[in-house]
Amino acid sequence: MIVAAACSGTQQAATNEFRVALVTPGPVSDRSWNGSAYEGLEFIRDSLGAKISHVQAKTPADFEENFRQYGAAGYSIVIGHGFEFQDAAKRVAPAYPRTVYLITGGRVTGENLASVSFAFEEPSYLAGMAAAAASRTGMVACVGGTQLPTVKSSFRAFAAGASAIRPQVSVITAYLGNWDDASAGREQALALARRGVDVIFQDADAAGLGVFQAAREQRALRIIGSNANQNDVAPRATLGSVVIDVPRALLLLATQVKDGSFTPRLYRFTTKEEVVRWVPNPALMNELPAADREQIASTASLMRQGRFTLPPTP
Amino acid sequence: MSDVPLGVIDATIRAATPIGLAAIGELLAERAGILNIGIEGGMCLAAFAAVVAGAGSPVAGLMAGVLAGILTASVFALFVIRLRAQQVIVGTAVSMMALGLSTVLNRVLYAGLSAAPQVHTLPPMRVPVLSALPGVGQLLAQPLPTYVLYAAGASVAWFLYRTIGGLSLRATGEDPSAVRAAGKDPALFQWAALVVSGALTGLAGATLVVAQAGTFTENMSAGRGYIAIAVVALGRWTPAGVLVGSLLFGAASSLQYIVQAYGVAIPYNLTLAAPYAVTLFVLAALRGSHRAPARLGRTIDLPG
Repeated sequence: MIVAAACSGTQQAATNEFRVALVTPGPVSDRSWNGSAYEGLEFIRDSLGAKISHVQAKTPADFEENFRQYGAAGYSIVIGHGFEFQDAAKRVAPAYPRTVYLITGGRVTGENLASVSFAFEEPSYLAGMAAAAASRTGMVACVGGTQLPTVKSSFRAFAAGASAIRPQVSVITAYLGNWDDASAGREQALALARRGVDVIFQDADAAGLGVFQAAREQRALRIIGSNANQNDVAPRATLGSVVIDVPRALLLLATQVKDGSFTPRLYRFTTKEEVVRWVPNPALMNELPAADREQIASTASLMRQGRFTLPPTP
Repeated sequence: MSDVPLGVIDATIRAATPIGLAAIGELLAERAGILNIGIEGGMCLAAFAAVVAGAGSPVAGLMAGVLAGILTASVFALFVIRLRAQQVIVGTAVSMMALGLSTVLNRVLYAGLSAAPQVHTLPPMRVPVLSALPGVGQLLAQPLPTYVLYAAGASVAWFLYRTIGGLSLRATGEDPSAVRAAGKDPALFQWAALVVSGALTGLAGATLVVAQAGTFTENMSAGRGYIAIAVVALGRWTPAGVLVGSLLFGAASSLQYIVQAYGVAIPYNLTLAAPYAVTLFVLAALRGSHRAPARLGRTIDLPG
């Protein structure tokens, strides 16, 4: 997995091999955001015969260094998995024109730089509807790792969905300050449960596993997973998951790069492309009133047809 | 709601447990003149060992954590006592090595992404009679490691101040030549202190898994090892002070969860910083009231 020695120049190793590198901000063992990207990388290896490499970057300084090393080594595609990689990619990409830099969850574009954004808000809205319908206390919550713009907008959509079903519902938002500390995730969930919250939407990657743990202890607590399908993490407590099919999106783009049809622009994947979707846990759907389930289903079908617009956020 | 204060106290006790365990261990090491900054990594490796053995039972998880902690501390001891290497450098290296090892083993053993392993957690142990009290009674139902923490605090206090061995250990941290003059080997006290310290660090890491998160996540110690080192200074190198310091830190960090749960309009970054701000404030307020062991962090001079 280690990259060729870094050199300060912009000399790129010439190679015809199709090689794809992934840089994640967190461990790929999180069964969530990072795990799904690694799955995508393996998908690319298996489907396109690419040579793959993965590295976990710890600090913004690492982001740039990793991008440079892969660029210098002549990789065909370098994926920076997350909004936080944007600036580093913008700085590094021009120096390695033969490499395509791809930022997931970002907005930047350039000669050889493209971004993938996911309409994570759409399934988050549906999750909010389901949460409000399932809540007996009228209090639901969102727990995030850190306040990234993508997380924030997804939580806003969740709140909008919740109040679409129950206008008087209260939605509390909390952040853990990191994405690794599962013990902190559990503490935050327990504090919310004590307040009276009975449904929590978690988007905290590995730390979010602690939120599921809280639900194993507090029987009344329901959880909504994110990024990957987390319905089997705590099957008796998970209402559903807001899923981004990252593997599908990455494979789609890698295929384009390989066959030359790729253009550097902002790619946006929505429910319509089936890259983002709300995946309910069928075992718990009977906890929602039938009328609400119907309303959720009809909203979901509008989204699939691309005919749903989220209410504007204040 | 009347049980909000109880909720805060309960969360405080939970947050203080892993930090306190590691800090009591570090206190022993520091009183023997050894600054072990490797406990952060030791804690994480112990957490990993706990999740592996925890598949059997939570108690097995605790024991595996303790073993991993002792092992990590022994590597550190070998370098700083036997090979007389610089403590801060070895501590950093051991910490990074143990952190990395836990990550690598996690990916090798659990195939990376498909299975972040889950283990059963320790049930709360009720204190007979007292836990039936209304209100405060609910605080007296904690998992085993919490009781171990306070028992360890009391035992270490008794040992340090009431036994000859404790006197020699303290002397090792102040003036090892005096220990040698008394016909004892200061290195032996340092080894013993580090082994016990490693066991407590390991218990701290295992607590995160089998008493709290119910799973292992990479880097899950999340700085608690470093906080424990700060807590030792905060507690002015005394067991009682360390326990109070851990609770203070626990209270400040549990505040973060409560404040957010009640939707208080403070930016979350501020509440996240609270524990560190409190630590700095108390350290500044207490300055000069007690000093660190004279030989803390320094290699013992060779005899003769």
